[in-house]
Amino acid sequence: MCGIVGYVGTAAGEDAVDVVLDGLSSLEYRGYDSAGLAVPTPSMTVSKAAGELSALEGIVSRRELAGEATGIGHTRWSTHGAPSDANAHPHCDERERVAVVHNGIIENYQRLRDDLVESGVAFRSETDTEVVPHLIGRYLDRGAGPEEAFRLAIDQLEGSYAIAAVFEGSETVYAARRDSPLVVGLGETGTYLASDVPAFVEHTDRVCYLEDGDFARLSADGVVVTDGEGHRVDRPTETIAWDPEDAEKSGYDHYMLKEIHEQPTSLRQCLRGRIDELEGTVDLEELDDLDHTGPIQFVACGTSYHAAMFGAERLRTAGVSAQAFLASEYASDRVPVDESTLVIGVTQSGETADTLRALREADRAGATTLAVTNTVGSSAARECDHVLYIRAGPEIGVAATKTFASQQLALALLAFELGDDPTRAELEALRDIPGQVQTILETTNARSVAEAFVDADAYFFIGRGYHYPVALEGALKMKEITYRHAEGFAAGELKHGPLALVTENTPVFAIVTGDGETARKTIGNVKEVEARDAPVVTITDGESDATRYADHVLEIPAIDDLGASVLANVQLQLVAYWVANLLGRSIDKPRNLAKSVTVE
Amino acid sequence: MPIRSAVVLAAGEGARLRPLTKHRPKPMLPAATKPILEHVFDALVDAGITEITVVVGYGRTHVQSHFGSTYRDAALEYVVQDKQLGSGHALLAAEPDVSEPRLVLNGDQLVAQRIVEDVLAAYDDGDDAIATLGLIRHEDVDEYGGVICDGDGRVTEIVEHPGDDRTYQLNAGVYAFEPELFEYLRGPDPQLNEYSLVDGIANAITAGETVRGVTSDGVWIDATYPWDLLDVSEALLERADGVESTVSPDARIHESATIVEPVVISADCVVGPGSVVGPNAVLGDNVTVGANAVVEHSVVDADTRVGSGATLVDCVTGRNVRVGTGSTVVGGPGDVRVGNRVHENEQLGALLADRVRDGGGVTYAPGTIVGSDAVLRAGATVRGTIDHETEVQ
Repeated sequence: MCGIVGYVGTAAGEDAVDVVLDGLSSLEYRGYDSAGLAVPTPSMTVSKAAGELSALEGIVSRRELAGEATGIGHTRWSTHGAPSDANAHPHCDERERVAVVHNGIIENYQRLRDDLVESGVAFRSETDTEVVPHLIGRYLDRGAGPEEAFRLAIDQLEGSYAIAAVFEGSETVYAARRDSPLVVGLGETGTYLASDVPAFVEHTDRVCYLEDGDFARLSADGVVVTDGEGHRVDRPTETIAWDPEDAEKSGYDHYMLKEIHEQPTSLRQCLRGRIDELEGTVDLEELDDLDHTGPIQFVACGTSYHAAMFGAERLRTAGVSAQAFLASEYASDRVPVDESTLVIGVTQSGETADTLRALREADRAGATTLAVTNTVGSSAARECDHVLYIRAGPEIGVAATKTFASQQLALALLAFELGDDPTRAELEALRDIPGQVQTILETTNARSVAEAFVDADAYFFIGRGYHYPVALEGALKMKEITYRHAEGFAAGELKHGPLALVTENTPVFAIVTGDGETARKTIGNVKEVEARDAPVVTITDGESDATRYADHVLEIPAIDDLGASVLANVQLQLVAYWVANLLGRSIDKPRNLAKSVTVE
Repeated sequence: MPIRSAVVLAAGEGARLRPLTKHRPKPMLPAATKPILEHVFDALVDAGITEITVVVGYGRTHVQSHFGSTYRDAALEYVVQDKQLGSGHALLAAEPDVSEPRLVLNGDQLVAQRIVEDVLAAYDDGDDAIATLGLIRHEDVDEYGGVICDGDGRVTEIVEHPGDDRTYQLNAGVYAFEPELFEYLRGPDPQLNEYSLVDGIANAITAGETVRGVTSDGVWIDATYPWDLLDVSEALLERADGVESTVSPDARIHESATIVEPVVISADCVVGPGSVVGPNAVLGDNVTVGANAVVEHSVVDADTRVGSGATLVDCVTGRNVRVGTGSTVVGGPGDVRVGNRVHENEQLGALLADRVRDGGGVTYAPGTIVGSDAVLRAGATVRGTIDHETEVQ
């Protein structure tokens, strides 16, 4: 979790404090319970504060640090120790010769800490990270130079890390990575380091991704990357195609609302060039050399897991054996996997630690791996045998919205690539989705539904088939940004237990589309809750008589079931957004959550 | 110092463009597939403007989602005018952002780069002017704002809809202004009365301020009524500095289809076998033209499906319209009824607003207007004006 930024500027460069603070604010979505920075010249200055980045901005002495061109910074999302000034990064050795920021978890930190304490080191925080500067300090004491001390300390670590360090009086940033992302930016007026590209994309679009086991030494004129033995390795320089301004709110109150409204555009991008209605085919160019006939397993977390459930169901409909697993449970589930299996990791960031771990296990077992991700150059994209990009564009709001819709559409395309060719009606439906999402955005009454139920005790969501994962996603969105209790259920499961929770203060959102058997069964479940006096909100295309049993209706245009699940989800996103808005929640940065979860 | 920033007024609905503006503002209506506002931004960026403050209001999410935070490297800032109380009030919404001279333009009229440059040059030459106005000679000046200048280019009169027979130049809605102009924009009671930029300029003139006018021969086009979108697209396709005839590489055109230039065929469009598209047909994103369909002299907006064998001549569609198999828009001229007024002999085949659905085999009499979300049953013959969300058997 957390975000790291580093910078070494040339004489023409900016103040390190400005670059680091700007970078941190672009990374705030990764974690934000505390933040800090270190500038090692002319003497080591460390500033850190619990709370949002503004707290740090308030205490940094820009005037004293004016003209200094080297720095590192960190936004923290706690894994070890509560959010506090002391636990915020950077951490230093006792004599403040070195300052360290770290993303990840050091698994053997307790042992290292015990050793250091025994040798007389006094720790100032409860973090795992603090062992690193003390280890470096110990090697400095023994006469090692900065780089050697840094390497020797890193060699002691087990677990996952992206680490950056600066030494007093030195205009150099040292970095190392294992299982945690780190990318170097090569600019005209300096060299940048960050967990993710947005931190420096306003300064340069030339980047170089570090790989596991890499060490990097950044100076004003570039970077030297070496392996564990100190041998130089070449990491290609890539040019990234991000528009930095995409990551601004452009007049919306929240990134989440902006991203909800971007869905027609991002869905068009997802489909562009991939379907050919004249030929009646779907062609995913990047998967041309993927020829798979065996079973398929999805691994994913959170919202991506709901997309994976949807993808697995779509593939089963196409006659392919497919199952979705929670990435964090994949190992302990002891899922049978071998060379005949295709394991698909669905991860927006491409850095989700649980998903990466499951993919690596599958790879070790000989399976073919495929990453379905939004992030070019991410760990998942680089490590998997194949990658399918969902092309949603940058998503900043912690609660995933447009990326879920694009995951759904990309997985629908994948099913046609791996299963039967689409019918004309299916292709037309896919092409209709972006415009119909636009229709919903223009006509939705989600806000008035939210107003009606802002004081509810709990929110329940039910659906069948493709609408079941959407019911789960609708509930997750509600939990994430409103902090209210919400649950999604397969509609038929309601009567097997959860119905006991249903009262007149628990609205039930039922997704009912078409007028087939599935719709009729869901309507039966709607009647069950109606009989318990629960308010009913139906998300429906009006093809069935579901509205008869509804207190409120969220209308979607008529389309096939697959498309309807994409559309229904947009209405649920908007309901969650407006409930959270009415409650005054921190919508883009909900408490305790981070955008990209890079710890297991 | 040359002006590098502009305020663009894009908050109004443009009610005379109904029913196309039911769900989005006039600046977002298509002119040869690109929103009118995008043409305005192009003129500004080409004239060297690098910062644009956009005053948004009605349907503002359309503007914000379409353009985001930058347009061609120019930074976009959005300012919200919650109630649309006139162009003067709209400009005041941007006041906190304005501390030095700026340009201000209407976001719902097409202006050539030339007019913007002429105003900027005249501003640079000017001395004491609180505002410098772009003017053009135009025969329909009585429908817009008229301006009279003295021999030195000083504006002596500015009026809306001039009715007398003096010679007025048309106010092209492109102004360079000093921040002091804001004082004159505060009307007697702007919260109760619509208060326009023209009123503010007139106030300044009355108070003895210098307002200059600069006559430009750059192009200025306004779509007053929905069917004007046909002329606007045609004019843009005709002009060298307008819009180039293009077929997007991301469109799929069947090899047996006939494309008669000039046309604009946007990304994700599908043009089926045996169909004929053009001349002067402009298709927005993701439009389908079915097998053997004919689309000429028409503006077809995004996500619209033209069924097999359908014919669209002089037709304007909104987004997501479904023209069924074999339906026919025979073309203008026809009489068009808007409210209580009948516009005779307009070159309009039919206007189908957003999400109109026809079941196929529908015949549209010349001048027909169909409101959004209307449903027309198969085989119907329709004429006149059909309200939104109606079902026609």
